[in-house]
Amino acid sequence: MTDVVTTLRERTRPGRGAATAGPRPGRSRRGGTRALRPWLLLAPALLVMGGLLLYPLVRVVAISLQDFGLRQLVSGRTNWVGLDNYVELLGNADLWRTVLPNTVVFAVVAVALTVVVGTLVALLLVRLQPVTRGIVTTAIMLAWAIPAVTGTYVWVFLFSPGDGLAVQALDALGLADAATANPFASRVSFYGVATLNVVHHGFPFVALTVLAGLLTVPQEITEAAIVDGAGAWRRFWSVTFPMLRPVFAVVTVLSTIWDFKVFTQIYLMPGGDGVNRGVLNLGTWSYVESFAQNRYGLGAAIAVLLTVLLLLITVAYLRLLFKEDEL
Amino acid sequence: MTPPAAPTEFRKATFRPSPGRKVAFLNPRDHRRSLGSRALLGLGVGVVLVFTLFPVWLMVSTAFNGRANAGSRSLWPEDWTLDNFAFVIGEGGFGRYLTNSLLVALGTVLAGALLALLAAVAVARFRFRFRTSVLVMILIIQMVPVEALVIPLFIQARSLGVLDSLVGLVVVYLAFSLPFAIWTLRGFVASVPVELEEAAYLDGASWGRMFWSVLLPLVAPGLVATSVFSFITAWNEFIFALTFMADQDNYTVAVGLRRFFGQYGTDWGALMAGSTLITIPVMVFFVIAQKRLTDGLVAGAVKG
Amino acid sequence: MNGLLCRARRKGNHMWSTSRGARRTAATLLAVSALAVAGCGGPGAGEAGGSGDSGGDRALTVWIMEGTNPDARPFFDELSTAFRNQTGATLDVQFVSWASAHDKFVTSIAGGTTPDVAEVGTTWTGEFGEAGALADLAPRVQEAGLANGLVTGLTEAGTVGDALYGMPWYAGVRSIVYRTDVFAEAGVTPPTTWEELAAAGEKIKAARPDLIPFPIAGDNEYGVYPFVWGAGGEIAAQNGGTWTSTLDSPQARQGIQFYADLALKHGLSTPAAATWKETDLQDSFSKGQSAMIISGSWTPKAILEAAPDLQGKIGAFPIPGPTGGLSPSFLGGSHLSIFEGSPNQDLAWQLVQLMSTGDFAAKWGSESSFFPGTTALLQQAAQSSDPLVAPFAKQMVDAGRSVPVTPLYGQVQGKKTIPAMMSAILGGTPVDQATSTAVAEMNQIFAGGA
Repeated sequence: MTDVVTTLRERTRPGRGAATAGPRPGRSRRGGTRALRPWLLLAPALLVMGGLLLYPLVRVVAISLQDFGLRQLVSGRTNWVGLDNYVELLGNADLWRTVLPNTVVFAVVAVALTVVVGTLVALLLVRLQPVTRGIVTTAIMLAWAIPAVTGTYVWVFLFSPGDGLAVQALDALGLADAATANPFASRVSFYGVATLNVVHHGFPFVALTVLAGLLTVPQEITEAAIVDGAGAWRRFWSVTFPMLRPVFAVVTVLSTIWDFKVFTQIYLMPGGDGVNRGVLNLGTWSYVESFAQNRYGLGAAIAVLLTVLLLLITVAYLRLLFKEDEL
Repeated sequence: MTPPAAPTEFRKATFRPSPGRKVAFLNPRDHRRSLGSRALLGLGVGVVLVFTLFPVWLMVSTAFNGRANAGSRSLWPEDWTLDNFAFVIGEGGFGRYLTNSLLVALGTVLAGALLALLAAVAVARFRFRFRTSVLVMILIIQMVPVEALVIPLFIQARSLGVLDSLVGLVVVYLAFSLPFAIWTLRGFVASVPVELEEAAYLDGASWGRMFWSVLLPLVAPGLVATSVFSFITAWNEFIFALTFMADQDNYTVAVGLRRFFGQYGTDWGALMAGSTLITIPVMVFFVIAQKRLTDGLVAGAVKG
Repeated sequence: MNGLLCRARRKGNHMWSTSRGARRTAATLLAVSALAVAGCGGPGAGEAGGSGDSGGDRALTVWIMEGTNPDARPFFDELSTAFRNQTGATLDVQFVSWASAHDKFVTSIAGGTTPDVAEVGTTWTGEFGEAGALADLAPRVQEAGLANGLVTGLTEAGTVGDALYGMPWYAGVRSIVYRTDVFAEAGVTPPTTWEELAAAGEKIKAARPDLIPFPIAGDNEYGVYPFVWGAGGEIAAQNGGTWTSTLDSPQARQGIQFYADLALKHGLSTPAAATWKETDLQDSFSKGQSAMIISGSWTPKAILEAAPDLQGKIGAFPIPGPTGGLSPSFLGGSHLSIFEGSPNQDLAWQLVQLMSTGDFAAKWGSESSFFPGTTALLQQAAQSSDPLVAPFAKQMVDAGRSVPVTPLYGQVQGKKTIPAMMSAILGGTPVDQATSTAVAEMNQIFAGGA
């Protein structure tokens, strides 16, 4: 099947061809329905996405401009307060001292680690024999397949204070005192565990994508570089990396988006559901304000802030995609 | 959305595929490797295997460990038993949660495949006004953090009366999985040569007939890939399942697990047994779909 | 035919397996043949219902807090049988963990997905009642002639204005549970002052270094209050119509400082406890890892259940005052509330009455080691000579206190202000700073009403 597709792709190149081919000879007979047909086909999907993604996006902005609590929810009345929620949000020291740093620093660190680990694994995979590569790839797939919920519980289990295996191991290495260490109490170690969890869950995507890219680097180029006497380190930076720059850019941006809005992995860790105020990030804060405090207005404002930050990253993503080609 | 639901669209990459050409690295024996570098490779493989599999192993071994609740923390079950599983499914009510999750995931997959395929055909096969706008919208919408939509969707679901119902979750998950499914299927549809369609028309087939007997079989692999992603999206989702469901008879597995954080400490044996039950279907899917997923990545990464 | 239907209904009625579908089946069968239902023993469906029950869906969803009664299932099996016999309606009992309960209630109230009847913690009743989620039970209590027989502290906590939003069900109080064998080994007796408490801990630390003498759990606000109150402080004071937090008063700070110092200065705790919940204390105690814990009157039984080898080795003493007497401890408990969203409020009230008075209330009290919510039953319990009951009864009668009776306090608890403060202090934040932060946060809630 893949072969067929590949061959077909060859024949239908340039890629645009398939799309332009839509209207065919003979269509003029029923021009009206022809013009309608794509919209008919699109309608159900557009309705679902419009109703459940676009409209709520507008709605969340609207809610962020209201004092929206239980009373408003039950009565359906609206109480517009302008930018009050944003004023409160931006004037909140916790945002600048705790929540934003948690969100941003965690995302930067987790993304850097994810991409580096993923790339290293890809570079390892590409050098392996097919059988070994198959085994390692399967193992990586297994890591990728662990749902965020269960993955988080395993890491929590591993680091549970006192008797967690990781805590015991650190104790044996003299790096921590098992009797006193609580990895979830301090912000740094809390996010350290979260980073491990997120990197473990996220690197397979990077590894397999980069591997896919590596496999397209023509052998001649690598051989030429070897002939020129370039070492592995230089070969990577002067040949591989420039050729795969778009791949790296995309995995980085996507990982950034995912790590920015990470919720489940934080919420399910001890103290992550709002008890430990020091470890809130934008996602969990928005949720706690809304569903534990009934302050949907403020929660929505936090959600909007998160969305805006993500949109900025998305713009970067789109520019990468659109720079060299068109849709 | 989770990493599996990754839009792997790197078609703008500078490199081009070279199917006929030999590709570097494929055969390591081409470069005679020294013993040292092979040992290094072996070490690398070992490290990767341990890092990736250790949590999986710990989960499974704890699930089988009869003494996990008595404070046993070991890499190997001290007392092999199925008790944890029996407890989870029986008293823990997990059978119910598994059924709920399965219903939700299947609903999402079926509805998603149908809607996405129709939409993908529209954007891949037709030239129409605003086509590019629709595509850009799908791409952007994919980036909307669903975490930010909990509040409005909760309120919408409330007024529609679908809170605390599996249908509500299906609709929400459908919306989440559609953009990616459309975007991916679009590539598969586009790669089916128009000539094949035209041949069908020449044989007198209607558009509908062509769709069913030419297009559909050829994009089936794409449907498998997107279905796997939709399934996983629905199966793994936590925040909406947590927020929408009040009656525990309606819990999905991801939320049902929280029950084992009990009044008297965490029941780790049960928690890990439940986790294992949740994780296995996803792993099976990943491994079955592995070829497709990696092909998809390659196709995505190098498609011209 | 009749017998078949009866069996089918019984089957559908078994509450642990009752799904919505099964309940619907039961309801359909009911609608099909009222005769058959009447034939199943007990009064027929028609008798019990008021106007709200005409829908035919004769099943009540009930949320009960998990863990109050170590093995609640036989109790609820029996209750649902009795209830079915009395009214013909079935019960779907669901257990909710305390840790996630407040958020779950708030979300379900917001979403309109509330159950018919729920056990509601006394500190939340006002909050949910004021939000319009709970039915006012005052007229029904009046009508049933129960108004004068309820424990005052509990009715107060459930009253907002003239409305009573919760029927007192049970109450409990926290004191200190300790290991008698460890005390004997270390040569200490139950302390009667704060100084003795610290000294006892130090001695235990010396005698049994493998034990945590007195773990201080960060995420356990009820451990903090006795020391605030004991030192003469208050959580908040009402001035006119508004509340102001007084946790930054010198007395309150002194009490909190002493409590934190048990961990920080005397080393009686473990840093791991900074994120512990109350349940982790019990967990550590029943694993034999700690010597004393602040624990509720209802816990000794559960602890013994979890750790039978501790039988005969545990005792309890009231929380001492700084220089004698007792430190007040939070008198908390649960109400049974009926949700406004329930279409079966009359039926629900029958259930509430069945659970909170008479045999079932007494049975629940003795099984869970809680004190019942009616005065008659409480007096009976207070006479007990049981060493694991008497100290708690003393604490409850002599030194039981309530947190500020305002729905806003439920929000403070929902925001986990006190646990956040306590874990900060245990993590090294100075008491002055942490209390000021907590006071600011509480005052913001008190002021904003949101």
